[in-house]
Amino acid sequence: MSFDILFNQFMSGIARAALLFLVASGLSLTFGVLRVLNFAHGSLYMLGAFISYSIWKFLLMPVLGFYIAAIVAALVMAALGLLIEFVLLRRLYSRGWPEQLLATYAIVLMITDLVKWAWGGKFLSIQRPKPFTGAVFLFDFPFPSYNFFVIGLGLILVVFLWWLVYRTRLGDIIRAAASDREMVAALGIPIPWLFTLIFVLGSMIAGLSGAVTAPFGSVALGMDIEIIVECFAVVVIGGMGSLPGTLLGSFIVGQVYSFGIMFKPELALAFIFMVMAVVLIIRPWGIFGRPER
Amino acid sequence: MLQNQIKEEKSLLQRGWWLILLIVLSLIVPFIITEFYLTILCEALVMSLLALSFNLLFGYMGQLSFGQAAFYGLGGYTVAMLMTKAQFNFWLSLIAGPVLAAIIGLIVGFFCVRLRGIYFAILTLAFGELIFFIVFKWHNFTGGDDGIQGVFPPEFLKSLISYYYFILIVFLLSAFILWKIIHSPFGQTIISMRENSERTEFLGINIARYQLIAFVIAAAFAGLAGAIWVPFYRSVAPSYLTWIKSGEPVMAAILGGPSLFFGPILGMFIMTFFHAWVLGFTVYWPVVMGALILVVIFFLPGGILGFIHEKVNQRRERLNQLMEK
Repeated sequence: MSFDILFNQFMSGIARAALLFLVASGLSLTFGVLRVLNFAHGSLYMLGAFISYSIWKFLLMPVLGFYIAAIVAALVMAALGLLIEFVLLRRLYSRGWPEQLLATYAIVLMITDLVKWAWGGKFLSIQRPKPFTGAVFLFDFPFPSYNFFVIGLGLILVVFLWWLVYRTRLGDIIRAAASDREMVAALGIPIPWLFTLIFVLGSMIAGLSGAVTAPFGSVALGMDIEIIVECFAVVVIGGMGSLPGTLLGSFIVGQVYSFGIMFKPELALAFIFMVMAVVLIIRPWGIFGRPER
Repeated sequence: MLQNQIKEEKSLLQRGWWLILLIVLSLIVPFIITEFYLTILCEALVMSLLALSFNLLFGYMGQLSFGQAAFYGLGGYTVAMLMTKAQFNFWLSLIAGPVLAAIIGLIVGFFCVRLRGIYFAILTLAFGELIFFIVFKWHNFTGGDDGIQGVFPPEFLKSLISYYYFILIVFLLSAFILWKIIHSPFGQTIISMRENSERTEFLGINIARYQLIAFVIAAAFAGLAGAIWVPFYRSVAPSYLTWIKSGEPVMAAILGGPSLFFGPILGMFIMTFFHAWVLGFTVYWPVVMGALILVVIFFLPGGILGFIHEKVNQRRERLNQLMEK
């Protein structure tokens, strides 16, 4: 195995990891604070991709079109997230988690049909936006420059979430609410609004990552379940609700996927699961997770 | 309270004139209803068996499996592949279906039973999707997205009515066995794990082992459901293993009432017939199912049977109070 092939797989693994982090961070953040596992997170990602496609097609602007479409898709998903939290989830916090899970599952079914009805079963894609259309040379090997855009966006999100969670007053509240919700409420902090805010933020990230994935040429029905299963692997490996865990989990899953595809494409997902199985045997709550109470 | 629940359910069965009535009705029903509805009834019975296997884990053990359809599909694929590719005998294939589902259930369960609650749900979903993915991608072995066609039952089971009776017998026997399992000491142990797993552990019970046994039993019955369905439908497709399919037993249990043995059966019957009716005028079944889920969660917590059960109990209590006065 020559160095250039390995390096190439490694770099595409990094790009994959960045995309996974974009999606999984929103899922993990929502779960960490609300303790609600949002099955519909992948559906918001899918809907974000389809909406950005339609806006991009409508605008027909070679440079700005993609960026505007991505921002609008993120905002539309934020609005949808607000609606979902306000109308459905808010009434279910006092109930058991199976009901919460099923409610988000119901949203999955509805969004799937909505996409089927509005866009049909076609495969769609967006052209790579300027200035990320060409290739970048690294050690004399060419890489799609759009990959670096996604990696950069992933890094920005890492820094932003780190700053938000560990360096702001809101972050203090978020971390406090994740460990003892009642105590935070007793201190006079409006927990329902915090939950709404976090859910909207998570939905916005999902919409944005959906739009960002569109130029990879994979906007189609079924992309929701595909990404959510890999995101589950990410958060199970890294630890639910942990930011460093999500980062490490994304890196591992991205690399395993990238090298797995090189050996046997049919079994790429199975390789990811083998890693997950090993982690589960050694640390059932994930590498950075806390044991369940 | 738990003991009361079981006793009440038992006495309900012992006073079970209505159960005998239902069985008699199910024996004469092929001569009353049209072929279309008899086909739906067959589907409802098979799916009810899947729902019962799911509810052994959910309603009794307190663990929500979101990957039960994978075992259903495995059972179906085993029968289809053995019969079409290896020219196996129908009955042997039928036994091989649940056996293979149980073996895969043992492997998957080994990892899943280490986790509780939402983590268990995630992992079963993820493993279910993995199995789906392998079946879907392994084109020259499983037929990929084409599935497998031309799975025929033996001559004497080829007519709709005879296969209906076959499904009915398998369903009744399986339901009876599951009922016996739940009311055995083993069943009581898994119920106690739902109620308080810490205390159960303090009694010296190896929770992981008990949960694994229950997981394998559930996988076997899900596999059996798939195994008897495929020769009826004459074909199998990867869609049998998807998480949309796995959501159906979850939904049926919530709709009918997961705390009662007959809850998931009632839920699945309502869903299957509702599905057949909805397909008459729209292909957008998932959106209808989603709306149905939300309605049940918000307006019928505890499911239909749970709701009736509660009302009956309230009336009985009021009667008791009146008697005391």
